[in-house]
Order: sequence, then structure tokens, then C-alpha cells
Amino acid sequence: MCISRTPQVKLFIGLVAVLCVAPAGAKKFYDDDPLVNEPPPRDASQAVSRKISDYYDFFRHNFTKTGERHSPGRVIPAQGVDTFGEPRNGAWYARRHYYKPMTVEELVRGPGNERPPSIDGRWKVVKAKTEGITPGFEIVDSKGRRYVVKFDPKDYPEIASAPDILVSKFFYALGYHVPENYIAYFSLEALELARDVKVVTPTGEVKPMRRKDLIDVLLGVPVLDNRYRSTASLFLDGKPLGPFRYHGIRHDDPNDVVAHEHRRDLRGLSIFCAWLGHDDSRAINTQDMLVEQGGVRYVRHHLIDFGSTLGSASSGINSPRSGFEYIVDFGAGFRQLATLGFMPPSWALAKYPKFPSVGRFESKRFDAAKWVPEYPNPAFINRLPDDEFWAAKQVMAFTGEQIAAIVRTGQYSDPRAEKWIIDCLIERRDKIGRAFLEKVLPIDKFAVRDGSLVFEDLGVKHGLVPSRQYIWQWSVFDNEAEGKSVIGGATSGKVPEGRVGAGGFLAADIHGGDIKKMVTVYLRRQAAGWEIAGVDRRW
Amino acid sequence: MPLWMLLCALWLAPMLLAQTTSRAAEIEAARDRKQQKLSPDLPDKWERRLLYMKEARLIERFTFGYYGFRASIGQMATGSGFALGPEYFRQDLAGGALAFRASAAASTRRWVKLNTTFGAPRLFRNHAEWYVQTEHHNYNSMDYYGSGPDSKEESRTNYRLEDTAIDTRFMVRPWRWLAVGASGGYLLMNIGPGQGEPPSTDKVFAPAQAPGIDQQTNFWRYGPLASINYLDSPLGPRSGGLYTLRYDIYRDRRLHQFSFERLEVDLQQYIPLFNKRRVIALHGKAAATTKGEGQKVPFYFQNVLGGANDLRGFAQYRFYGDDMILLNAEWRWEAFPALDVVFFGDAGKVSDRSRDIVRFKDLETAVGFGFRFNVRNATFMRLDFGFSHEGFRFWLKFNDIYGKLPLGQSSPLHVY
Repeated sequence: MCISRTPQVKLFIGLVAVLCVAPAGAKKFYDDDPLVNEPPPRDASQAVSRKISDYYDFFRHNFTKTGERHSPGRVIPAQGVDTFGEPRNGAWYARRHYYKPMTVEELVRGPGNERPPSIDGRWKVVKAKTEGITPGFEIVDSKGRRYVVKFDPKDYPEIASAPDILVSKFFYALGYHVPENYIAYFSLEALELARDVKVVTPTGEVKPMRRKDLIDVLLGVPVLDNRYRSTASLFLDGKPLGPFRYHGIRHDDPNDVVAHEHRRDLRGLSIFCAWLGHDDSRAINTQDMLVEQGGVRYVRHHLIDFGSTLGSASSGINSPRSGFEYIVDFGAGFRQLATLGFMPPSWALAKYPKFPSVGRFESKRFDAAKWVPEYPNPAFINRLPDDEFWAAKQVMAFTGEQIAAIVRTGQYSDPRAEKWIIDCLIERRDKIGRAFLEKVLPIDKFAVRDGSLVFEDLGVKHGLVPSRQYIWQWSVFDNEAEGKSVIGGATSGKVPEGRVGAGGFLAADIHGGDIKKMVTVYLRRQAAGWEIAGVDRRW
Repeated sequence: MPLWMLLCALWLAPMLLAQTTSRAAEIEAARDRKQQKLSPDLPDKWERRLLYMKEARLIERFTFGYYGFRASIGQMATGSGFALGPEYFRQDLAGGALAFRASAAASTRRWVKLNTTFGAPRLFRNHAEWYVQTEHHNYNSMDYYGSGPDSKEESRTNYRLEDTAIDTRFMVRPWRWLAVGASGGYLLMNIGPGQGEPPSTDKVFAPAQAPGIDQQTNFWRYGPLASINYLDSPLGPRSGGLYTLRYDIYRDRRLHQFSFERLEVDLQQYIPLFNKRRVIALHGKAAATTKGEGQKVPFYFQNVLGGANDLRGFAQYRFYGDDMILLNAEWRWEAFPALDVVFFGDAGKVSDRSRDIVRFKDLETAVGFGFRFNVRNATFMRLDFGFSHEGFRFWLKFNDIYGKLPLGQSSPLHVY
């Protein structure tokens, strides 16, 4: 078929070509940059609940390549971030402790600590728990609030319940949406069975739940003075839509426009999971909820179920391999096969405490850069040094006292176990700082003060380097063409004045001796003075 | 401008405009594009199948049964070939206080096994259990090489072992690691000519060499038993120990020629290294038989060595004797989370004189290697390759190598 190229067609083709290659008006910074908050969400009422098969998730991630990955010559920077590289406040993430230091009270409060299950009346058991590996059930308390109640394994009291509480508070402070989890003690007499509750037997039979079924569950869990310790997780607001995946997007959510494997808040999550020993950080332990805000229903993304962290496997202690190797690691396996077992891997030499409430959680053999979850996670694999820096700076923002305060919310009955967890978290935090902060020039929290650009050097602040000499070069930045014109002699922190008018940009290239690790800070001239417009990092 | 161009331009306009105004507009433009192609977030066909498997509880139904019914696979003595049959199993009777099992299985070598078990597994808040069990075997080709350590490999014969037993067992567990109790029952034996390639035992061995080959009798059997068990995992231990002691009294009720008593000690010790990723597994077993004046141990109740569970470089049921000793050692290392590799050494001997057992000379030995396939801390399958002066043997078994000594089990010991 031959198409005659009329002037109109030529015009149209030209227009489309221009639009596709160089969208009209494209520029590095818009007036609303840095955009801290996601725009108000669109209605996602049509999103429907769906499940994820954990077997499928396991096989797919182990034996196929999921999501979009970096390739030689094509590195895909993190997305869903503002011009500082910070994730925006929204359905996935909320800027918390690092951005505005939380008090100890706020850290301990976490997502909320005012709504534990009421002990004023009996708890009505309304559903048997069918998901997950720990025994439990769902209850409604006397105030009508609904909780998932889970237990520790009989031989390991507190091993799952303590992490479930305290790790939820860490993740909250780190910016994620998490449920309110509580340690709750109760006696058998406090339980009342609702009508028409069904239980599924191991053989698949569905039958009415009876009080004896409740007793059977409780026979398999620790009991002290006729009281049972449990994790009571308050039902999340909204309608459950199932887990999110760590790759691709949710097809029924108009607000979910960034592939998950490229989200900084999910790439960086790998560092947080490493810190907290959350090797079970897979899709099945997440939850999307359809929530309503300002009359609009949208999808909010949560992390849930932290019972398998800090060396716990929920139903017992975690494998010593946890965090060091994937479950399926052919290279490591064949090495062991070939060496006849006489060259054990490093992780097999790790020393663990003998407290039943602490699983296999330690800090001496912990290698922050090599930590892995149970199986490959595309978002974790895609992380880049700037993703790592973003996460590491947040981990380093927790002081020892703050860590201790959060750990105490786990209510370990053995002070030695509590101390072990605190000490490990502090040492692991420091290892994370050493592993990741210096992969880029670790300067952050920029401001213009007294005519100079100032910042915080996190490497110096956290003692990774004693001090640093900075090399500066200022340029005039053309926001439309994204080009820089060097300003001769402008090689200090002092902002060169008189070079641009209102709305104009300057760029400061800064490095600390290693030119590969360059940070470019962009300043915009506003009527009231200089404003930091954004930051680029190279490594 | 033609209409189609106008429509395209209108379609592109919002994106272009959005890109030019603000970051928020840029995001809104992306949302616009997404909005136009919203679709249900559905799993693909493989995920749907796996979800169905989970929701229909297919694995649980295969494992635990469907309304009590399930397939019984294996569960027969080594040498049976592949065995399969139906099983009805309920452990939720009377609210879980009672359990019942009935099974029937036949194998590719036409061996048959029937079993019914009824009991109360959770007496006194799990501190006691009581069972009654009936079991019938009709194994038409059990190997027999003659009694004593000097039997010849070429002397292989076979016989039909047919027995029916009813036994009861009561065990008390004052602590989780200690079990003491007693068992007792009645056993009807019938030994017949074997089938298949090797000659029938009765054609090769005289009654003096194979006591009981020519006469059928029945037995009372009873005795105490005790075990100390602090294994970390009952089906795939990596640390701890299991020590079992039992004393069985067999009383010949018809012929009064084959009464005897047997003391049996079984010791297992697992020494973990490197966070249990390496295990030295040790196993020792000894059995000594005593009998009154004029009494004999029938050949089918003799202790047996050889095969997948003890001397792995020898044929199954290779050695028969009134007494026996067995020593096994394994070096196990984890190559993959679900796969352990093993080097092993086995040594043991049978004897017709108890005092020979404690002399560690003339032991039959075997060495080899193997693979253990594990799921959830349990060994569900193993491959062992054993070598001895009688050659090479390959074993595929669906159990842990040493296993738990059945307490109060009915039927002759080596064919449970």
C-alpha cells in the first residue's frame, strides 16, 4: 500500500516525531519540583481482590527473570522519586524518621498504640486463621475491632510475637504503611466462639468450629500462668485487595504507574530487610488495601507479617542460611557438593545465642552488601548505589537509644535476649553504613545558608571518614537544554551571585577527591532567595 | 486536516500539555495513559492452577486424605516392590481423643499387607497413649540365606511369610523425652514355600538349619519397653539422641518348641556441626536372644542384617542369626536446603551365640555414599549406594535411614 505524503500528513508525522523524541517544553525541573507528595489519588474502586500463589511466586522468581532489569549500557534509575531522589509521600510511602526525626515516644508508638484488643469484655472468635504457617484465629473485641491473633511456637516463646511488634515499628519509622500490632495476653475464658465459624481440617473438610478446636490451637502454643501471649494485628482499614508484587504494576490501579522493580522505596527496602533479618520479604507478606480518603477510594500498599524476622521462622528458628544464600543457589550448592562438606560456608560458622526467644540472628557474620532474601526479588536485585545510599542513611538515623526503645516494645521476658537483639541491630546498622554510604559521596540535607551551600556529610557524621575536602565547581544551568556553563573561579561553597535572574538555575558539582562520586546540586533563584531544586548523584 | 489526524492530535494533546506544565501534571499524564488501559489484575493460567491446588488443598488431601481416605504408598518391607493401596485414617474421632486407621496394600511382587489400628493417642493430656492393632502379612518371597555369619550368598532361597497378629500397647510419657510402657499380643504364623527365582527355603534347608520351616505355630508375645528421645526432628534429625530398650518374650502356644526372649538395644546419636549443616550420625544396635532348654528361635524370628537399613553393601535379609550387632556412622553435609549428601560406613554381624556379639571381629562391613531429600525437616526419600566384598547395592527408600524402632509393633521385627 502506498500512502501519498500530502503536506498535512507530513506535518502530522513531523509533529508526532517531535513530540515523541523531544516533548515540547520538556525540562529537568518544573515549578513544583521537588514534588514531595503524590498528586491526590484517582478513584480505584474498580480494583478487585486477587490472591498470589506463593508457590508460583517462588518458582517464577527462582527460575525466570521477572520484571525489567538493568542491562549492559542501560542502567535504569529509581523512579517514583522527587528531584532529590526521595520517594514521595503517597500510597506506598511516607517520609518519617530520617526526614523529621521522631521522638522516642513517636517511634515506640509506631503506626498506633491506642487500639489494643480490649480486655473489658470477651473476645469473640469469628474466623479460623487459614493463611500463613502460625496457628491463630480472628477475633472481634468488645469494642467491635477486628484482629488477627497469632501465636509463638510452643518451644520458642516470643520468637515470632516480639519481632512482629517491634519490626512493624521500625518499618513504620522507615516510611512504610504497616498494621498496628500488639502483644496481647489472654486466658481461655476470655474467648467466646461466634456462631457459624468454620474450620478447615488438615484433610480439607470444612466443619463448624467448636470450643475444642480453639483449645487444640492453644495446646500447641506457650502458656504461662494460664495466660497465652499472642500477636494481635488490627485489621487494616479498607477492603483487602491481596498482596502486591515486587515487579510490574497493578493493572487495575490507575495510580500505580511505576514498575515496582524500579520503585526506590522497594529497591531500598532490601537494605531495611537486611538490617532486620526479614528474609521472608516476599509478595505474600504484603497487602494492598482499597482505602477511602476525601471521598476517593484508592489502593494503599502495606507490608505485613513480621513474625519471620530477627532470625525467626515464625514456627521455629530460621535456617542459618537465611540472609546469606537464596534457598535455591546452584553455585553454592555445587561448591558444597564438590568439597564433600569439608569447606563449610561462612554462615555455617556463625554463633547464635541459646535464648529460645531469639532465632538465628547475629551481626558478626552479617554481610550487608551480600544479604539476600529467601529467593530473588526483582526490586532488590535492581537496587543501585543511590538506592542503597537512600536506605542506608535512614538506617543510620536510628540512635542506639532509639533502637533499644523500639526493641523493648517486643516485650522480651529475658533481658539477655532483648540486649542481644539491640546489640545486633546496632552492629548491623553500622555495617550497613559502612557498606553503602561511601558508595556515593554521602552528602545530604542541603540548604543555602549565609550565601553558601551547606550540607551534611553522613560519612563524616557517622565516623566513616574523619573529614573530607570537597572540590566544587559552579555552573549556570540551562533548565530547558539541560546544559551547564562553567563559572570560572566559582570553586567554593559560596553561591555565585548575579549570574542568573529569577527562575534561573545554578548547578554545583561537588566531589570529595573521587571524581566518579559526584553530587550535583541544583539551585533555583526565587524572589525570596535560593531554593534547592534537586540533586543528582553519580558513582 | 482529516478527521483521523484530528482525533490523534486530541488524544495526544493531554499528554503533551501535561508534560509541559508541572511534575504533578506529568504524573497525571501517566495516570491518564494507565486509566485508558485498566484491566483486572488477574493471575496467569499457571498461577491460577497453583492457587486452585492450594485452595482445594490437593496436597493436604493427598497427604492427609479426603474425608479420611487416602492412598497408602510403600509402607511395606524392603523387597516388596512398589506397594499401593487404600487407607482410611481418622485422628479426629471423639474430638481427637481417638484415632483409627485401616489399610490394605498390595505390591508389584504380590505381597499383601492389611492393617487396622485403633487407639487413644492423647490420654492424660498427651502423657499416655493406648493402641490396639491387628496386622496381616502375606509376603510370598522373603529371602533366606541360612543362619549364622558364614552363610553363603549363593545359598539364597525364599519362603512365604504369612502372619496375623493382634497386639496392644500402652505407653506413658511422664516427660516429653521419656516413654515407658508395655506391649502384648497374639501372633499366628504360617510359613510356606517361596515363589520366584531362588529355590524355596524348605527345599534347601532342613528344619535343623531353619527351625520352624516345617511346623506352624502361634505365639503370645509381651514385654516392657522404654525410650529416651530428644531428637530435634523426629523424621529428619540433626541433633539429639534416641535410645530404645525393649525386652520381648515369645511363648510358643502350640508346639512348645520355639519360646524365647530377646533383649534389644537401639542407640542413635546425632552430633551437629556448623549450625547443623553438618551432622555426624551414629547408630548402634544389638539384640541378644535367650531360650530355654530344648527351645529354638524360629528362623523367621531371627535377627536380620543386610539391606537398605543396616549393611547397605549387602543384599536385603542377607544374614540371619539369633543375635546381632550393628554399627553405622554417617557424615552428612547439606549441599542444598533440601538435599544432604552422605558418606557412610556400616559394620555388623549376626551370631547364634550371644558372646560372639561383643567381640568386634569378623564384622561384615560396607561403605558408600548417598543422598537425602528433605522437606520441612523430614527425610522423604533417600538414595544410598553401598559397597562391600559382595558387590554394589543401590537403595531407593522413602524413610530416614535409622528410623524409629517401632514400639510394640506387631509382626516379626524385620518386616514391619
